[in-house]
Amino acid sequence: MTSDTDRTRRFNQLAEAYSTDLYRYAMWICSNDALAKDLVQETFLRAWRALDKLNDTAAAKSWLITILRREYARTFERKVPKFTDVEYVVIPEDAELEPEERTERDLLRKGIMKLDPKYRDPLLMQVVFGYSCAEISEQLGSSKSAVMTQLFRAREKLKVQMQKDGVTGNVHELF
Amino acid sequence: MSMNFSEFKRRLGEDPLSRDEEMLRARNSAPEFEQAALDAEAFERALQNAVNIRAPEGLVNTILDIAHTAPKRRNWVPLAMAATVLLAVGAAGIAWKQSHRWDSVDAYVEDHYSKDGDKLVANSADGVSEKDINRIMARLDAFAGPQLSDRIRFIKLCPTPDGRGAHMVVSTSQGPVTIIYMPNTKVSEGEMLVFDQMHALLVNLDHGSVAIIGTRAQNVENLQAMVRNSLKTGLIDA
Repeated sequence: MTSDTDRTRRFNQLAEAYSTDLYRYAMWICSNDALAKDLVQETFLRAWRALDKLNDTAAAKSWLITILRREYARTFERKVPKFTDVEYVVIPEDAELEPEERTERDLLRKGIMKLDPKYRDPLLMQVVFGYSCAEISEQLGSSKSAVMTQLFRAREKLKVQMQKDGVTGNVHELF
Repeated sequence: MSMNFSEFKRRLGEDPLSRDEEMLRARNSAPEFEQAALDAEAFERALQNAVNIRAPEGLVNTILDIAHTAPKRRNWVPLAMAATVLLAVGAAGIAWKQSHRWDSVDAYVEDHYSKDGDKLVANSADGVSEKDINRIMARLDAFAGPQLSDRIRFIKLCPTPDGRGAHMVVSTSQGPVTIIYMPNTKVSEGEMLVFDQMHALLVNLDHGSVAIIGTRAQNVENLQAMVRNSLKTGLIDA
């Protein structure tokens, strides 16, 4: 009975700690609110069933991301078309921002969605989950140097896109 | 040997918030380095702001509900041992108590609807794509035929007494009605539940069941045949 209680408590802690970041990550990789929620729910359902296999709580975040990424890949095995038309993505409004900040944020969001997944994935892992280059490299199965290059290029592409769109406020001159 | 400016900017692009000793030394070595670091930090704040989309209200609770009501994986050794000491009738009763958070389907329907049922009805005017309907139904090994899917204006996965199900809001000539599909739950056929200002009709399907929930002014019985004919259940890889 105690182990059941512990298991439940452990799971609840994982859900409290990681569900928001996993939803954000899911939202950015699939660009669809309903699918993102579904992916997160499925991820935690699988995590609940396999919780006894998680020996190291410190590895929980990485474990959950792996489950979510696999689940996302399965979505395509089921031949569900991708929903990437940025114009139709509904993102809930966050804290109140000044108009200029909102413009900058919206352009950045468009830019992130347009990024090739090979640049977007490591960038999201760094920004959403706070991962180091080494951790991203482990998660994605790439070399650390490749990840570092992808991170640099991801930011470079975003900045170039912002400059094209005429936002110069906080964006540093690249060249 | 000190870092040159190109190398410094490259490393800023890899990890703008790095507190690496070498980076800190380089940052303090000249004003242009310091400015580049400040610009990178500003960009990072904007990036952080852009990615921080708000998670849906109640996400954690939905996750917990779905997980805690999911059927547990069977552990065959304890089950075999238990089988030697438990009589079938007793086991059925105990199993219900262990795997359900609600004492009955009636309690579940009332509890589940009272959480956000009215709110979902009120906010469900935008409609939902057929892709989303099919995807969610496929998760439940089911399919909604056009008679039903054309009416669905909201759908989400939700907890049920026996694992996941679907919570739908459908349009009818009497106004929006809620349908909860419970893929692994059997109900008392035709039972009408009454709670608050609502009533709910329980209907068994080939696999699982539904609760059709409306206000007491709505005739939910009228929807029974449509739901029964349109909700195809127990499919494999629909």
